[in-house]
Amino acid sequence: MKALLIGEYKNGHIDESFYELVGFANKIGADSFGFAVAPLDVNIEYAGKVYIADISKAKEYNPKVHKNLILKLIEQENPDIVVFSHSSYGWDLAPRLAAALKVAQISEIIDVDNDEYIVPFCNAKLRRKVKPNTQKAVLTLQAGAFSPVKSNAAQIEPLDYIEQDDNLEFQGFEITEKTGVDLTKAEVIVSAGRGVGKKENIEIVRSLAKALKGELGASRPVVDAGWLDPSYQVGTTGQTVAPKLYIACGISGAIQHLAGMKKSNFIVAINKDKDAPIAEVADVFVVADLLEFVPVLTSKLTK
Amino acid sequence: MNFQLTDEERMVQDTVRSFAQKELKPIASDIDKNHKIPDSIIKGLAELGLFGVYIPQEYGGAGLSFLSYAITVEEISKVCASTGVLISAHTSLCANPIYEFGTKEQKEKYLIPLASGQKIGCILLTEPEAGSDAANVSTTVKNEGDYYIANGNKIFVTNGGYKDIGILIATHDKSLRHKGIDAFILDLKSEGVELQRNEDKMGIRGTYTSVFALENIKIPKENLLGKEGEGFKIAMDCLDGGRIGIAAQALGIAEGAYEKALEYAKERKQFGKTLSEFQAIQFKLADMAMHIEAAKLLVYESAWIKDNLKNGASYNDLIIKSSMAKAYASETATYVTKEALQIHGGYGYIAEYEIERMYRDAKITEIYEGTNEVQRIVISKQLLK
Amino acid sequence: MNILVCIKQVPDMESKFKISSDGQWYEQSDLTFKINEYDEYAIEEAVRLKEKLGSAEVVALSIGPERTKEAIRKALAIGADKGVHIHDDESHKKDSFQIATIIASYAKDKNFDIIFLGMQSQDRASAQVGPILSELLGYNCITTIVSFEYQDGKVNVKRELEGGIKAKVSAKLPVVLTCQLGLNTVRYPTLPNIMKAKKKELITINVNELLNEQPRVINLKAYIPEKKKGGIILEGKSDEVADKLISILKEKTQVLR
Ligand SMILES: Cc1cc2nc3c(=O)[nH]c(=O)nc-3n(C[C@H](O)[C@H](O)[C@H](O)COP(=O)(O)OP(=O)(O)OC[C@H]3O[C@@H](n4cnc5c(N)ncnc54)[C@H](O)[C@@H]3O)c2cc1C
Ligand SMILES: Cc1cc2nc3c(=O)[nH]c(=O)nc-3n(C[C@H](O)[C@H](O)[C@H](O)COP(=O)(O)OP(=O)(O)OC[C@H]3O[C@@H](n4cnc5c(N)ncnc54)[C@H](O)[C@@H]3O)c2cc1C
Repeated sequence: MKALLIGEYKNGHIDESFYELVGFANKIGADSFGFAVAPLDVNIEYAGKVYIADISKAKEYNPKVHKNLILKLIEQENPDIVVFSHSSYGWDLAPRLAAALKVAQISEIIDVDNDEYIVPFCNAKLRRKVKPNTQKAVLTLQAGAFSPVKSNAAQIEPLDYIEQDDNLEFQGFEITEKTGVDLTKAEVIVSAGRGVGKKENIEIVRSLAKALKGELGASRPVVDAGWLDPSYQVGTTGQTVAPKLYIACGISGAIQHLAGMKKSNFIVAINKDKDAPIAEVADVFVVADLLEFVPVLTSKLTK
Repeated sequence: MNFQLTDEERMVQDTVRSFAQKELKPIASDIDKNHKIPDSIIKGLAELGLFGVYIPQEYGGAGLSFLSYAITVEEISKVCASTGVLISAHTSLCANPIYEFGTKEQKEKYLIPLASGQKIGCILLTEPEAGSDAANVSTTVKNEGDYYIANGNKIFVTNGGYKDIGILIATHDKSLRHKGIDAFILDLKSEGVELQRNEDKMGIRGTYTSVFALENIKIPKENLLGKEGEGFKIAMDCLDGGRIGIAAQALGIAEGAYEKALEYAKERKQFGKTLSEFQAIQFKLADMAMHIEAAKLLVYESAWIKDNLKNGASYNDLIIKSSMAKAYASETATYVTKEALQIHGGYGYIAEYEIERMYRDAKITEIYEGTNEVQRIVISKQLLK
Repeated sequence: MNILVCIKQVPDMESKFKISSDGQWYEQSDLTFKINEYDEYAIEEAVRLKEKLGSAEVVALSIGPERTKEAIRKALAIGADKGVHIHDDESHKKDSFQIATIIASYAKDKNFDIIFLGMQSQDRASAQVGPILSELLGYNCITTIVSFEYQDGKVNVKRELEGGIKAKVSAKLPVVLTCQLGLNTVRYPTLPNIMKAKKKELITINVNELLNEQPRVINLKAYIPEKKKGGIILEGKSDEVADKLISILKEKTQVLR
């Protein structure tokens, strides 16, 4: 089995998720090689060959440019599987590549068993076991599902069949200003999820955060609804945090939220639904209506 | 026999339910405490088209079935009975008579703003000496050619506090009893209409129950609804439909309380078991569910009859079934809220748990738009005819 | 402007799921279905664009069994002009490639300028249909959009990346766009519009007319994961639970003493 591992160059280096792809390749006993669009002198801690397309020529992500590069490389190296991380880059590019190759694409793999892959569905309440119906396959791996493997510097091989695409134009980045709070430095975070029901109830959660001398955080729907500004959001598209204590109030525990907080030292979930997936990571799961329970807890703590 | 809602009716149910659960449920306690439904909610109801569910679109309504209207009141009342009767009294007792008996001009001038929710409607029927005996009204009107002059006192006017539009029931000759009664469309901002107070009351505290003194008010003659002497018939006719609205409100209250009790019984533990593991509680839940299902069938069937009058359904059937629905659903509401409170034990008695509010709200459904004694008079009269 | 919106009906994620008797999927009876949340943003954005342009036709398409019509009717009530129901009682057995193929065979000769989809479905969560569809049709494609604007034959969108970063991207028509949470606030369908939707055209096409491709991914089985135990579960009266929680926090964390 030969695996092509696709790295992502972000914020001046190869994203850590690449090493999880390496871990995955090792786990299934595949020979692997890598690819990334990055500067030619990029540092990659990987014992193998990595083809690099020069980012100064390829410019910021354009799906067609990247797709064509990878297609060329596949033609040359003939790998059996192409592996991405299930990220905004991976889920954008992997299906296009699979469609162009007319092969299977399997998304968000969390485990593997021979040629069979486990993927979550229904907000991680269920799992499916699937396998490709084609010789080759394009895979995306859930962040954190496979242990990263690092070694010495990789052997870099430049790759240059860069064709530009003028149908799609990158116009720059927009970065959420971290005005309010820097959650990454907080020792205690108490987060509010959609379960708070309405904006005014955020105050109930904020009071608990205050009582614990911690910071207030939030899941995405709370931010999308405009109840708190984006700097409070925890998760893949918000901040990644690892406080000593994380309390999730009315948060179901979708993977994108978990990814941002599961490294916390101690996790408490307060939720009405006993089956909520947040139970997977919670050290203590309080089955309760937060509107009723949280004020009681707060008043005991402030006494 | 077809027990399926149409696609539209299901969609109405879905839309109203999500609005009720998302926008109304979180503030239902505040509505009760502050004695007021926020303007933003009224605006939301209007935008959704809940003030004229079965009024045709040409008159500002949604043009849906009467059953859709019953479902609307039910879903809203599950979380807030005050808002449920706001819609029901407005629609059944004010928009409806204008729709059924109004001229084209009256509909254009009054029904459009009512059905689209720009104005909130009410009926001024009950008086200190005319309750169940509605024909005993003593508010008088005098025909002065181009206009009528009205004098008298009206009490218990749901939605009166909005001071928009009302249907006034008054007599031009009391000796004629019900044959002397007329109905008018009354602009409550007219000179001489005095809102004396809004009553303080046990339940549905988010609604206005207003007392009016009417002194020499001038009503333009084109505001007479139907003909002179038809007022009593008009009032009774809107009550025939109105009962279904109140029955739907009662059904909603019962369902809301039942859902809370079911959830609580599964959570609360005593003697190491959840309440739902005790047979005494299981049987309570079974009885509550049974009554609710029976009430629902009566309410939906009466609404269906009303929708199918043009397809041959019988008016007598409508009268009898809607009276049954009203009496049965309201008694279900008082029974279910009582049992739901009991299942909550002491917590049920505490305002925070909301069952206490539902218990207070339920009672009125046995009283207004014809007490349940009056419903039984109507039912037995039909049976013994 | 011709706009297509693709929607899917999914179960409420707070439901209690059981595995179907064939062991391949979840049991569908006893579940309440609704429009996939991501697709609701797609409908809303399409309708907003139509309202802004004044003249445009929005077609809402959904693949699935009879109940799927309800989702299409809701899209019509929100403001789509025409519904297309691709009748398929076995749609849950189709992989993302087959679903994209069905949509592509419907759309290929219709000259849609913009196709809106959700970025993923809440049940399957593969996030593949949009990009595969764009490949099959030869359209541009931008995924995970959180803001949208149309100007002079081009779309300007923000595409969400990780960690609070967004990429501003513009693309020429025709284009496939997949919508992410928070793109807009979805309106409630009003009752008058529910009534009007009744009169709008809703055509049904049998899936066999549009698909003759095998799946590229084989579904072997579906199952409920074993609960990872370890976490302490606290239940009961708030007062007692709060005391217990505080003593656990005192013992196990350094934040409370
Ligand atoms: C590409 C992508 C990126 C994403 N990025 C992020 C991210 O960075 N951060 C993030 O959070 N999400 C993110 N999401 C969204 C994520 O998938 C979920 O939709 C989101 O996390 C759900 O938020 P929630 O748990 O607050 O809401 P829900 O999933 O709706 O859960 C609400 C929970 O509250 C419980 N509840 C309700 N009422 C009460 C009550 N009264 N008392 C107690 N419990 C109650 C319910 O049982 C339920 O479990 C992303 C999604 C995608 C596709
Ligand atoms: C909150 C609220 C809102 C209301 N909203 C409106 C409104 O919007 N518009 C409006 O016009 N009115 C309204 N009403 C009035 C309501 O319809 C009357 O209260 C009701 O019809 C009963 O009249 P009553 O109160 O005078 O009682 P009464 O008629 O005095 O009845 C007292 C008791 O005697 C019984 N009884 C009376 N006659 C008989 C009989 N013949 N046989 C057996 N038993 C009998 C009754 O059933 C009842 O139990 C409202 C009342 C309340 C409390």
